[in-house]
Amino acid sequence: MRHPAGHKDSRTSKRSPDRYDRPLSIGTRVPRIDAYAKVTGREKFAADYYGDDLVWAGVKRAGVPHARIEGIDLKRCREAPGVICALTHEHVAGTNRQGVIRKDQPVLADDKVRHCGDAIALVLAEDKESLERALSMVSMDLEPMPGVFDPEEALEENAPLVHEDHPGGNALLKGELQKGIGQAAAAECEVLLEGCFETSYQEHAYLETECGWAQQDEEGKLAIVCSTQTPFRDRMEVAEALGLDPVSVRIIAPYPGGAFGGKDGVTVQTLLGLAALHSGGRPVKMWWGREESFVAGTKRHPASMRYRLGAKWDGALHFLEAKLFFDTGPYDHLGGVVLTLALEHASGPYRIPNVKLEGYAVYTNNPVGGAFRGFGVPQVTGAVEQMMDMLAHRLSIDPVELRMKNALRRGDRSGVGKTLVSSTGLMECLDVVSKHPFWTDRDEWKSAAGPFKRRGVGMSAVMQASGYGPVVPDYANAKVELTQEGKIRVYCGVVDMGQGNASTNLQIAGSILAQTLEEMELVLPDTDRTLPSGSASASRCSYTFGNALIGAAETLKRRILQRAADLLMAQSADQLALVPGRVRCLGTGRELSLERMARLMDETERVAVHHFRAPVALDKLAVADDLRLHGMPHTLFSYGAHVTRVEVDELTGYVEVKDYLAVSDCGTVINPQIYEQQIHGGVAQGLGYVLMEDFRVTEGAVGTPNFATYLIPTAPDIQDIESIAVEIHEHTGPFGLKGVGEIATNGPLPAVSNAVADACGVRFDRFPLTPERVLMGMRTAEHGKESREYQLQTER
Amino acid sequence: MNISFRLNGEKVEIDVRPDRRVVDLLREDFGLTGTKESCGAGDCGACTILVDGESRLSCLMLAAQLQEREIVTIEGLSDEETLHPIQSAFVERGAVQCGFCVPGMILASVDLLKRNPTPTRHDIREGLSGNLCRCTGYHKIVDAVEDAAACLKDDPCR
Amino acid sequence: MPLRDVFLPRTLDDLWDTLEQRPESMVYAGGTDLFVRLRSGSIAPPSLVCLERLNEIKGVRDEGEFLFIGAATTHGFLLAHPLTVEHFPILAKALAVLASPPVRHMGTIGGNIVNASPAGDTLPPLYVLDAEIEISSRREVRRMPLADFIFGPGEVLLGKGEILTGVRVKKLTNENVHHYEKVGLRKGQACAVASLAALLRLSPSGVVEEARLAWGSVGPTVVTLTEVEHALTGEVLSHDTLKGLIPLVRDNVSPIDDVRASAEYRRIVAGQLLLRLQQYRWGGP
Repeated sequence: MRHPAGHKDSRTSKRSPDRYDRPLSIGTRVPRIDAYAKVTGREKFAADYYGDDLVWAGVKRAGVPHARIEGIDLKRCREAPGVICALTHEHVAGTNRQGVIRKDQPVLADDKVRHCGDAIALVLAEDKESLERALSMVSMDLEPMPGVFDPEEALEENAPLVHEDHPGGNALLKGELQKGIGQAAAAECEVLLEGCFETSYQEHAYLETECGWAQQDEEGKLAIVCSTQTPFRDRMEVAEALGLDPVSVRIIAPYPGGAFGGKDGVTVQTLLGLAALHSGGRPVKMWWGREESFVAGTKRHPASMRYRLGAKWDGALHFLEAKLFFDTGPYDHLGGVVLTLALEHASGPYRIPNVKLEGYAVYTNNPVGGAFRGFGVPQVTGAVEQMMDMLAHRLSIDPVELRMKNALRRGDRSGVGKTLVSSTGLMECLDVVSKHPFWTDRDEWKSAAGPFKRRGVGMSAVMQASGYGPVVPDYANAKVELTQEGKIRVYCGVVDMGQGNASTNLQIAGSILAQTLEEMELVLPDTDRTLPSGSASASRCSYTFGNALIGAAETLKRRILQRAADLLMAQSADQLALVPGRVRCLGTGRELSLERMARLMDETERVAVHHFRAPVALDKLAVADDLRLHGMPHTLFSYGAHVTRVEVDELTGYVEVKDYLAVSDCGTVINPQIYEQQIHGGVAQGLGYVLMEDFRVTEGAVGTPNFATYLIPTAPDIQDIESIAVEIHEHTGPFGLKGVGEIATNGPLPAVSNAVADACGVRFDRFPLTPERVLMGMRTAEHGKESREYQLQTER
Repeated sequence: MNISFRLNGEKVEIDVRPDRRVVDLLREDFGLTGTKESCGAGDCGACTILVDGESRLSCLMLAAQLQEREIVTIEGLSDEETLHPIQSAFVERGAVQCGFCVPGMILASVDLLKRNPTPTRHDIREGLSGNLCRCTGYHKIVDAVEDAAACLKDDPCR
Repeated sequence: MPLRDVFLPRTLDDLWDTLEQRPESMVYAGGTDLFVRLRSGSIAPPSLVCLERLNEIKGVRDEGEFLFIGAATTHGFLLAHPLTVEHFPILAKALAVLASPPVRHMGTIGGNIVNASPAGDTLPPLYVLDAEIEISSRREVRRMPLADFIFGPGEVLLGKGEILTGVRVKKLTNENVHHYEKVGLRKGQACAVASLAALLRLSPSGVVEEARLAWGSVGPTVVTLTEVEHALTGEVLSHDTLKGLIPLVRDNVSPIDDVRASAEYRRIVAGQLLLRLQQYRWGGP
């Protein structure tokens, strides 16, 4: 395998000078292994692969939302200077389809265009400039077709179909579920509230846009270096779509420059693979520009949600009904799975005896809805947590108290009826919030608002499942090696897209083997070197891989100690201990270096592997097989409670989040620094979601094509975020941990909206809370006028 | 066009088309891939470099503009042995997650601390407002710059 | 992309030669707007002339009663300059929130003027300061009020072979309120959805003796309303006075709908921003 020239292989990280030099241990603030190479600019991301004789590949996109492809004329394009070749679907030898559940997305569009970002032609050129010019010369004959842009309209009888061959029409997935007596319980409620909420698209906006590098070698092996969360799944998808044997495809996954779900699945991979099959053995690079990423990349599903929540006068929840419409765009980019997780979380983290849920993931000709941190849960949490505040207000109960009264505890049944058998720390989180000054001193703080400012305090309770659910195996295969040089090398099967699990892996293995970072090495995911371990998603990485890694590290430890015991003539392995760089016989004090041990051990002994499969829910729920296949129910959940203090400007409607506290139960903490990073990052993305991230789509066309129009928070927009961990040991987790990757994203939308409602007395139902929306809402409330756009939620 | 300038302390000369973007020149012609590109339009700061000691965006500059300038990229901020105090602080304080914004963020911090050696957390946030980070929520980045400021104050010759 | 020549004249004479030889060239200083338009494909000039090496039109010159600011002076330089801070706090306030630090280190005041965006941050302050601009060509130097130079979004009275060479601003003497507020959709790198620059002279008892007001992003160019300025003169900055002027503002601005905000919102906010001036009634925020 040739490596791109001019760059040395940096796939095994080296230690930095003045590095953390203590033996690794659980619960300590170990600086991240990847930080050194990242602060010096030496870390090589997928975007940083070039190499001699490089070919640039790019895509011509449809630019229209729905059309029949009558013809693609590549003559002028092919004749343009610097063009190597131009390809269409006719050059794709395999199925030309990609996807995880329903494989419905063409690599290059064949019969028709289903959204503006559809790839029509793939062009290879000598340099970026030639590529850009050649792409402008692709001529497409597209016969426009009527499109569907609203999920509810898409479900109507005579709506145009996005996929004529889908038995469910435009409903990619319909999910229904009843618990208790369902809707009949409405009549038994002493108070019953209604609410409708609409959340917008959210763009992942990772700093590294979709990119990769590929080359086919003389033996026909296709290597693809790409920014991905899913190298092992990518290999299968690329092979199937292009008609290749999976063993002839190698996916190499450096650290992605951010992913958040947007790289959970194929982006550039298949296109790059196809390009590399037509480049005459030359390396090929593809790197989407920001505008292309916005048009072609996936987004958080926009959701329209109708709720009814009923309770008894004492605040005991009795009934919840939710009807969800998720706009999944034209392809099943995990849209059905997202909807299913949304349904599972639609009732919030509460004990509710009677529940009726109905949801639709709907095909449209809008941008592709897909995986995004939280995975359907931020939308429904946004809705249900506002319903809870409306109920608290109606019943004049303290919002924290109302939640405590109904909070799920271990042994309770969740909203879909699943018995909670794993650690359930919501009460502990709520307890911390209830005693925190942000909450206890809120009246005093609010009364200190300056001129033209209104202050409010709001909170939310959150939960997030981890793993894949009952059907799709959630497994990992860890591999740990004692290298010939006496180092401990951990082969990561799961991508670290920034969340720090690679470092956590070293911490876990290092802790078991009593080594310092000095003795540790890391190999990032590579289908030829590391073992299949699932996707970097679903808050599962450290849980699933960590459990596998413990097994592998323990095995290697036993082998080293046993062999050393034999060599040192100790009675048994128990009389020895690993210390940094060596093995010591505790009785005699004699030592052997790990390097020595490595030389004395056979290659087969120096490598330990361990497989782990996550436990699944055993509950037999009355849900359709389809929902089970799509992941319902889960068995492991993290919990949290958030509180925020906001200030609203009366003159402009601008909402400023002054303070934010996130209390989380994600099990024990392996590394407090990485844990806080996850909480901070999740909250910041949630704050962007509620305050400013307003991805506009009109008739399928993106109205916010770049960072000048799609705004994400800058440093002045996010104040310090306080994170408190409620550490409850999860007995199935490695060292007691649970997933922390997604949960914090769920809290900000409802917490901020509840705080804004507290500040201005107006309940908003559309997001984000732009200054305009808030100002207009306040004015409408003041003038007491009815306005459809800014209508207040009415209580029944 | 022949262009000569100083790059990370060394005099360099290169024959290049004058309208080549500086970010491309650095990444592709010099192999200095620490300078990142994320938006190509001046909205994100990932391509920040120091030009005569001042933070600028290499996606909005052409090669011809490098003539006679002193350029520092992230690769030139420290040698193999020792990190710049801002780099150390980013490592120690957990300011690094995916890391794609980090080179630009660190160079923006160098500029910031040169102008204002004793910034408040508010000043730091304002000073880094041109550099987007999608992972950290900025909290730990502000921590790191605060730490680095204290460290540089004790040893201002760095 | 075809090869584009890039010229970096060192003197104005070099510049005039270049512009004569390559009249189709597009001129830029910082490039922070030009390269964005190049990327989007909305312009495709065959050659470029960069003004960054023209020392003759860079920097700040004290001319006694006036301050002359070279067109190619960066926002960052201007913001850090003691004369700006001393004489034109209102301009400094706008510069401090203009885009981001790296953009301020590249973008220039001349670029902000010639770009003539209704959202340009330096424009409302320069309007209330009655800035005069200087336009030069090989043959002549002409001057005119800034407000006459800009006649629409991106539209300025600049002829072939001419460039903007500087801005001349009269030093302030008695104005004691320098107010600039930008309403954006976020705090960092905000593009103005509406903005208000207000330069006031208040008597010790808080009566407005002179008022200059200018709004950004609520019309095709910066909006100034003499009726409002007159109405404010002789009054105290009370809530009622200011509130009474809101309809006048609302009826006389002409904003548009765009991706950032509706015309209706901008209209309302343009008026309400006046209320913020109340804080100066008793001597300041």
